[in-house]
Amino acid sequence: MSGATAPEVADELRDILVRATGREELRGIDDQQPLFGAGVGLDSLTGTLLLREVRRRFGVDVAGEDLNLDALATLGTLAAFIAERAG
Amino acid sequence: MIVKCVIWDLDNTLLSGVYLESAAAPPGADPAMLAAAGTLRDRGIVHAIASRNPPEAAVHAARVTGLDFAAAECGWGRKSDAVRRIVADLDIGADAVAFVDDDLYERAEVSFAVPEALVLAPEDMADAVGWPEFSPGAVTPEARRRGEMYAQRRRRLLEARSFAGSRDEFLRYCETEVTIGPATAADVPRLHELSVRTHQFNTTGEPVDEPALRELVASPAHEVSTVRLRDKFGDDGLVGASVVSRDTGTDWTVTLLMMSCRAMGRGVIEALLAWLAGAAGRDGAATLAVPCLVSPRNMPLQLALAGSGFRAAQSGPADRPVAVFSRAVSGPAPELPGWVIVPEAG
Repeated sequence: MSGATAPEVADELRDILVRATGREELRGIDDQQPLFGAGVGLDSLTGTLLLREVRRRFGVDVAGEDLNLDALATLGTLAAFIAERAG
Repeated sequence: MIVKCVIWDLDNTLLSGVYLESAAAPPGADPAMLAAAGTLRDRGIVHAIASRNPPEAAVHAARVTGLDFAAAECGWGRKSDAVRRIVADLDIGADAVAFVDDDLYERAEVSFAVPEALVLAPEDMADAVGWPEFSPGAVTPEARRRGEMYAQRRRRLLEARSFAGSRDEFLRYCETEVTIGPATAADVPRLHELSVRTHQFNTTGEPVDEPALRELVASPAHEVSTVRLRDKFGDDGLVGASVVSRDTGTDWTVTLLMMSCRAMGRGVIEALLAWLAGAAGRDGAATLAVPCLVSPRNMPLQLALAGSGFRAAQSGPADRPVAVFSRAVSGPAPELPGWVIVPEAG
């Protein structure tokens, strides 16, 4: 997938999160939703599944580029980070 | 690289004949292969099946060999795809598997498509059990029960898939118990094994030998803590540990943090990091630092640290980048989830 816009990326990310966690309700989260902590509750397992799938679909190595994983602050920041680099 | 899993072909390899050619009286276990497989199981190496047969063949193989198979891929696809699926299913590296097949073509196909795997013919096995790749050193109770624990893991994953609710709710439903306590000399063999076998959750990537670990456990300048994990599906035993150096002034430095990837997704690493932060704070430390040799392999650890409020500063040479993850611990201690048990406070 190349030249995707941030909203398109965010939709794919929702899809990946639903698959990684098995929780269908995550399809409804908005851009401001934090990924760590309560709510999505990303942990090392689901986070790894998410970032592996991001690398496969968009060719973006989030962890390799950003030690602090600041891109994972919210769904919106991750989508913007990927959209900037993908394609 | 130490082999964690041997993936067996069945026909004329683990079985002494061809399963589908003898439906009336399917072949028994090949005695030489079974002897090698038993030796490896006792060293904590698990077994899996990749076979061009119907799934019943795996059930038959389990019955005639008496082995617990951690995974079984039966079908007519490429063997390399079966190997990749087993590697993903068990969450181990492709360089931690050996593939045994009597068919030269299958061996070539797997060697080409999965170059990290150790590919062997049945006639290699008698010799191979003596190779360093198959000699993990310490054999701990955790190691001997590894096949059984993978089977429990499969049952847990199946229930997780159909569970409606958050991860925390699932961990409670599983009656998860994470117990954190001081390491003793009796834990040394398992700690050594963890230092050799863990990659995704290991801050140094360096094996630590038993004498060095015994010294650390006895040292007043270090605090070695262990993490044990159990739930209603089974007891995983000692799955993780931390070594804190106490001689670096008031700040706490975690010189080694390691956890079995089997414990991934079960709240263990997050519990250990939260407990360490609380213990450091109670000890009067301002900062908890976790130096970490960053590599693509330990990205799960990077995620756990970022998710637990740690921030990284890069140091060390570019070809061997060390990131020091740290967080302030002088404020209120992070709340431990209800399933974490700390028998001795502090």
